[in-house]
Parts: sequence; C-alpha cells; structure tokens
Amino acid sequence: MTGLDPLASNGSSVLQRRFSLGELVDASSFREVCSSYAELFRISFKVFDSDGQLLVDAKGNRGDLCAYVRQLPKGRSSCTKEVTTIREKAMAADKLSYFDCFTGLRYIIAPIKHEGDALGSVVYGPYRPQGVKMPDLAKLDAKVNPETIKRLQARTPAAAEEVAKRVVDHLVQVIEVILYTGYKQILTSRLHFEAVTSSYEELQRKNKQLRDSFERLKELDKLKSSFLATVSHELRTPLTSVIGYSEMLMEGLAGKLNEEQMEYVKTIMEKGENLLSLIASILDFSKVESGNLRLARKLTDVKSVVNEAMSTVIPIAQKGQINLISEVSSDLPQINMDGEKIRQAIINILGNAVKFNKPGGQVKLKANTIKVPKKIQKDDLIPAAFAPPDESFLQICITDTGIGIPEDKLSKVFDSFYQVDGSSTREYGGTGLGLAISNSYITAHGGHIELESERGKGSSFTIYIPMETVP
Amino acid sequence: MVQINMQQRELTLKIVFYGPALSGKTTNLQAIHRLMSEDARGRLMVLDTSDDRTLFFDLMPVFFKSESGFTVKVKLFTVPGQVMHDSTRRIVLQGADGIAFIADSQIEMTSANNDSWRNMMNNLKINGIDPASIPIVIQFNKRDLPGTRPDNEIDEVARKGKEPIFKASAISGKGVMETFEGILRLTWRTMDDLYDLEEKLQVKEEEFINNLLRKNTARPISNPRLDTEGRR
Repeated sequence: MTGLDPLASNGSSVLQRRFSLGELVDASSFREVCSSYAELFRISFKVFDSDGQLLVDAKGNRGDLCAYVRQLPKGRSSCTKEVTTIREKAMAADKLSYFDCFTGLRYIIAPIKHEGDALGSVVYGPYRPQGVKMPDLAKLDAKVNPETIKRLQARTPAAAEEVAKRVVDHLVQVIEVILYTGYKQILTSRLHFEAVTSSYEELQRKNKQLRDSFERLKELDKLKSSFLATVSHELRTPLTSVIGYSEMLMEGLAGKLNEEQMEYVKTIMEKGENLLSLIASILDFSKVESGNLRLARKLTDVKSVVNEAMSTVIPIAQKGQINLISEVSSDLPQINMDGEKIRQAIINILGNAVKFNKPGGQVKLKANTIKVPKKIQKDDLIPAAFAPPDESFLQICITDTGIGIPEDKLSKVFDSFYQVDGSSTREYGGTGLGLAISNSYITAHGGHIELESERGKGSSFTIYIPMETVP
Repeated sequence: MVQINMQQRELTLKIVFYGPALSGKTTNLQAIHRLMSEDARGRLMVLDTSDDRTLFFDLMPVFFKSESGFTVKVKLFTVPGQVMHDSTRRIVLQGADGIAFIADSQIEMTSANNDSWRNMMNNLKINGIDPASIPIVIQFNKRDLPGTRPDNEIDEVARKGKEPIFKASAISGKGVMETFEGILRLTWRTMDDLYDLEEKLQVKEEEFINNLLRKNTARPISNPRLDTEGRR
C-alpha cells in the first residue's frame, strides 16, 4: 500500500480489475436475449459499451422509414449526423435521456450501470412517440413522395412515453442483472484459480523445506555413524592392551599370582572381553548405518560357516545348560556370500536363542536349501505359463525353547538398540544391536529373516539367503 | 490499494472485514446493505456454501459522486474465516486500504480472535502491506450473547491499544454503522496524509463520510430488503 504509486497501478488480483461490458456477458447469448426483447416490443435498440463500441443491434421492426430516408442524398447526410450525435450521447450517458430525430421519430438513451459505473448504454428506438405530430418530410428532398412518407410513418411502431420509459427501465434492469451474474461468475472462477495457484505454490515451498530438512537429517545421521565408528575404534585400542596385559598376568609372565589375585585379573579380563564385544557390535552397526558395509563375497562352504557359528556359542550354552542341536543337510552347495558376515548373523541369533532360554532348554539349528515361487506383484497380471521360475534359497532355521517374544514387539526386534524389556531392571543384558546387525547382513545379501514366536514357548528365526552360485 | 484515476475522475478504496470464522463479517455487510440508502450502494454479492459459510468472499460497493465531479467508490470485502481458506484470505487482503477486524466477544472465542489476528498480520506482510501503518479498527461483535467479555474489560482494552474499538451486535445492526464510519474516517485520513486526497479530489472528509453513510430511510431496519443475496 504505502510506497507505491496509486496512479500507476491497478493491482494484480482479479478483485482489483475493472471489467468492460463485453467481458461480463456471453456475446451470443446476450444478443439472443436482446433480439427476442426487440421482437417482443417490435422496437429496435442498440447496446454500446463505454468506449462507444456497438455490442448488440437488435431489430424489432424493418425500419422502412429510415431506409427510405437514407436513400435520399440529403436524408442520408442528416441521418449520419444524427447517428453520430446519438453515439456521443450514448457514450456520455449518466442518466436516461431522449433524442428526437429529424424524421419525428424518438430514441431513449439509458446508461447501463455496474457498481455505480456506467459500463455502456442502451439506445432504444426509433419509435413513433404517441400523440406527437409527425413533421412534414416533403421539404427534405424533391424526390420525396409525401404519400409514401405518411404510410411509412404510420407503419413505424408507436409508443406512449411512459410505456417506452418503463420498457427501457426494465431492459436496463435485465442487462444489469446479466452483468452482475457475469461479474460474479468471473470473480469466483478467477479467484478460485488464484487461490488454487497460491495454495500450490505454498505446498511447493513447504515440500522444498521438507526435502531440505530431510537432506540435512540424512547428513547428520551419516555424521553420527561416522562418529560412532571413530569412537568405537579409539575405545578398542586401549581395551586390547587391558585384555592382553591381563592375559599375561594370568599366564604368570609377571610372576605367580595367588588365588585371589588370579580371580581379580580374571574378572578384569572377562569384563574387558564383554566390553570389547560390545564395542565390536557398535562398530559393526555403525558401519552398516553409515553405508560402509561391504560384502566380501566368495564361494563359501555353508556347513563350515554354520559349524563355526555353533562352536562359538557352545561355551555360553554349556554355562546356561542349554542343549545345542545342529541339523545341517549334507548336500549343501557352496554359496557366493560373505561367510564372515553370515557367520556373525547366525551367531547373533544363536546367542539370543541361548541367552533368552531356561536351563535345560534347547536350541536347534537346521540348514537346508529350499525352492520358493518367485513373488509376483499383484498388478502383474501374467498367466501362470509365463510365471518366473522358482527361486532357490539357503534356509537356516534357529528354533529355541526360550521365553518367546510378545506379539506386539515382534515387528520391533530388528530395530537398532531395541530391547523387548527396555527397563533399567531388566534381566538380560546387551546393546539391542545383535538382531539389527544380523538383519542388515542378511538384507545386504538380498535375503530376509522371518520370525515366529510364542510367549513362554520359544521363538523361531528363519534366515533366507538367495542361492547365488556364480560370483 | 487506493486507485486514483484522474482522467476518469475516479477514486476507489478497498476495505476488508477480517476476523475468525463465524464472528459475523458477512452479517456486518448485510446490515450495512440493509441500513444504507439504495442509491449509495451496489448489490451485495455473497459467495457461500450451502451451510452459509463464506466460501470466497462477500463484496458490496458503496459510492457517491462528489461535488467536484469525482466518482468515489469504496469496495467492502469480507474474507472467509475458516482456517483452510488462507490463500483466499490472502488474495482478498491484497491491496487493502483499511481493515475492520470483526472479533467474537464470546470469552471462549478469545484464542480464535488471537489466531485470526496473527494470521492477518502474517498475510498483510506477505502482501507487502505494513501492518503498523494500515488503518485498522476492531469490532467486538455479538454483544447480545451471554458469556461475552464484559464492557469494562473491552473499554480497558480500548484505552490501551492503538486501534479504535467498537461494540456491536451485527445481527440487529447495532454498532455496525459506527464501526463502518470508524474505518471510513481512519482510512480517509491515512490516505489523505499519503496522497493528499482532499487537495487532488477537492473532497473533504465530511463530504466523503456523509455521502457514504447515506442511510436508508424508506424501510424499517427489521424488514431487510429481499433483493440481497443474503443468507437464509
């Protein structure tokens, strides 16, 4: 508002715009209405816009008198002069006025107003004013036939002044309603368009903000993972010395330890190893998260991977009095995979199966190959004949008789740092990273893990790895 | 924004009735339409939905011809109050020369009033209008309802704030013309300071006000004109 020159601008919105008569009406429909109006009253009329442009020329009669006069040279020049005057009056019309032509016929000129502005005018006529004596046109030209003139004058429709005025008032009222309706329609449709455009632009802006903040968050997440990786690495280095020197002490390299000293050093070493494995988990996971996970795929013997994993958990199984059973199919082929990662994935699941078990419980590992029909998208409407061949998977199923997982927590166990019992007084320790890491490793191989569990009865984790034998 | 056309000798001003949903903006315009002389105003255009909620805006022009021969026109707009119509509100607010903020006096509507005010300030800024310099009057509407803020509290607020405050019951027309006069005067004075209207147009404030407030003497207030597109 302030600082702008009001003389220079008309504003940009449709609400600030001024419309001409022609813009507010549908030209052909408007002409139709005007023609039927003229026919009804048998009197012609014209509609001009505020610039003097003729918009409608509605004929209510043949206009024989005018036609006759115009063919006379003097008549034509007088007529042209009168038409110019009428048009000028029409352009300047602010209120209803009359114009009497030299032929004795009359016109009514009335403004068409919209919001107090004259948008144009109606020139109603010519008609023969009732009760008014017609002039003698014989003097107009030597060629005039007085009888013809009289006949044509009598044929021109006559109207009483009051009636003609009422007809014009009504006509103007009808036109003003048409203009108002057109104006309303233009305002609503264009404003609707403006509002939709404005909302769209706002949404675009907000989308961009969301995209930007998403990018920023991704960046921060990467930073977090790389921070974790660095810190874990820095922690591991001194810890290795702690464990190493403890070991040396235990071996008596610094002199024989008494029983109590031995017990203390053993504790130091045990706790050091716990801490080391914890750090290793964090390190593994941060690598997965930061996208630094690289698979070292090569043809690997599944049986040896599984056996290594089993032997890793044997000590804790023995400690917890858990029976470990392994059923590995003897005809397992070599698979193109990262043996180290798969072994770790199995160890994590086996470790949980042992940890969340009861003394006397059982953990069973079964490994075999399986053929599964390839999953087809629902909208992939192909006939069975063209269905893709079945897919082969290495299936490793680890079943335990442990405490099980409540149904509502099943979907969360693969989330990082998630603990089914997250309370500070929980019975079982751990970082909550084991299953998240296993899941990442298996997913990285194009596989997946399925989980079934019943609270109090045990859980069953099934790993599926696509058989990709060609490196 | 104010449009001055020296060639066609025309002045057009825009006044917007802003406020929270259902505070009575349209009712204000309907009352002005009803109370004003027929030759001083145009048709009242109400664009609402079937449940009588303003969809786009309402519009009514008021006008007069000055003794100096200028056509002076003031276009009165209302905005849709519902939160979802923010882009329409922003467009209607474009180029406003004055604002009548219609607040709901009911105590439970206090936060709705505040939200709408903040929304208006924000939309003014987006439209490049300085909220500190645009003329604004506040109307506390619905004084006839129970559970409204007491008079003394409103008088106290009026003393503290810079915006002139009016009390109204738009449904009966009470206080509506006073609010209208308030915003007309404030807008005229502000525009006159900025653009020297009195000198340019040869129109004095009283001529401006008296002509735009020409009252309808033909009909009693309780008999609203039927040619409005007013709400049922």
